[in-house]
Amino acid sequence: MKFRVELVWKDDEEQAAASIYLTSDGRVILQGRAVSQTERATLSLPPEGDMISVDRNLIQAIKDML
Amino acid sequence: MFLRNFWYVAATDSEVGRKPLARLILGEPIVFFRTEDGTPVAFEDRCAHRHLPLSMGKLVGDRLQCHYHGLQYDQTGRCVRIPGQDQIPPSAKVKTYPVVERYRWVWIWMGDPALADPAKITDFHWLDDPAWGAKASYLHVKANWQLVVDNLLDLTHLAFVHETTIGNAALAEHAVVKVTRAPNNVVVTRWIIDQPAPPTFVKVGGFTTHVDRWQIIDFVPPAFLRLDVGATPTGTGAPEGKRVGGINMRNLNAITPETDKTSHYFWGQAHDFDVENAELTNRIFEQIQTAFYEDVAVFSAQQRSLDLIPNPPQLDINADTGVIQARRILARLHDEEQAALHVTAAE
Repeated sequence: MKFRVELVWKDDEEQAAASIYLTSDGRVILQGRAVSQTERATLSLPPEGDMISVDRNLIQAIKDML
Repeated sequence: MFLRNFWYVAATDSEVGRKPLARLILGEPIVFFRTEDGTPVAFEDRCAHRHLPLSMGKLVGDRLQCHYHGLQYDQTGRCVRIPGQDQIPPSAKVKTYPVVERYRWVWIWMGDPALADPAKITDFHWLDDPAWGAKASYLHVKANWQLVVDNLLDLTHLAFVHETTIGNAALAEHAVVKVTRAPNNVVVTRWIIDQPAPPTFVKVGGFTTHVDRWQIIDFVPPAFLRLDVGATPTGTGAPEGKRVGGINMRNLNAITPETDKTSHYFWGQAHDFDVENAELTNRIFEQIQTAFYEDVAVFSAQQRSLDLIPNPPQLDINADTGVIQARRILARLHDEEQAALHVTAAE
């Protein structure tokens, strides 16, 4: 196991955003949900490449914490 | 940078007595004493007449008498006697500060007295709770208070600064760290699973096998750090909340800025096992104190380095995450205090 940091951001109402992970190999990993092909078609999103859907709180957390 | 609208620890309860105690806090000279009924009092440490520190004076009943010309001040800071003069000008008074005695410490409010609510005092009940064995102490530190806060929020330094006491290499290489940032709070949680116990833990806990060790650092602004630390033999369930067969302690820290470059460091160590055993309490305290002296050497050297080249660029690493979040909270609180001061000044 290597040194790994998980960041959790809580707002005034103690609502926590999904975690942000800083890994020992220098990556920042965000927790989210994969966007399905059905959703991509419905929302007219590009069909190729990996896509994840994240909570708006996570964006706030990234803004505040990173 | 100082934050004023907060309670700070000013002294230990035994330091404040019938002999005036001088202490510089947030750059302000303050004198502490107790009235005859034991109530702690804090004044500006400067006579309104010719500015001699009142701490050089003496108590006459509940009045503090200046050593220079004998002016006497009552516990509200009002001058009530000028030798050889019947009339006392209304300006003959000194600033007073709200003080509260709690957890064997004397606390002072350095900001707007109207906001001084004792309910805002940070909880350090472990220091006088009969369910815990505890011992506290004071260190004067030649370093900015934020360097001390930084040190306590990043415990990877234990592997290097304290390798003969409370640290070992496992702390820097094998930890999973979780940093939870709330609007006015940072909690850094670390678990070191199935690793050798550090020397102090072996001495205190008698571990002969690998341990699961926790360090849960709770930061409360401006400079309070309450560390929940301990270890149990590996595999006995501590990560799931079952702390049995090991040691469970609190390391308690309250840092009070003295100046921009010096700090008052109040700290204590508490344990919830064999609480009546004063010899054990002392032994744990002395082990941790040894480590703290090692920290003081580090802060002081950092400050000397910063004095040579102020505000140099610095590198942040993953282990600094808690430190960075705490510094952001402190910067925001400072901005808010300054903005409120400007609004008040404009009104």
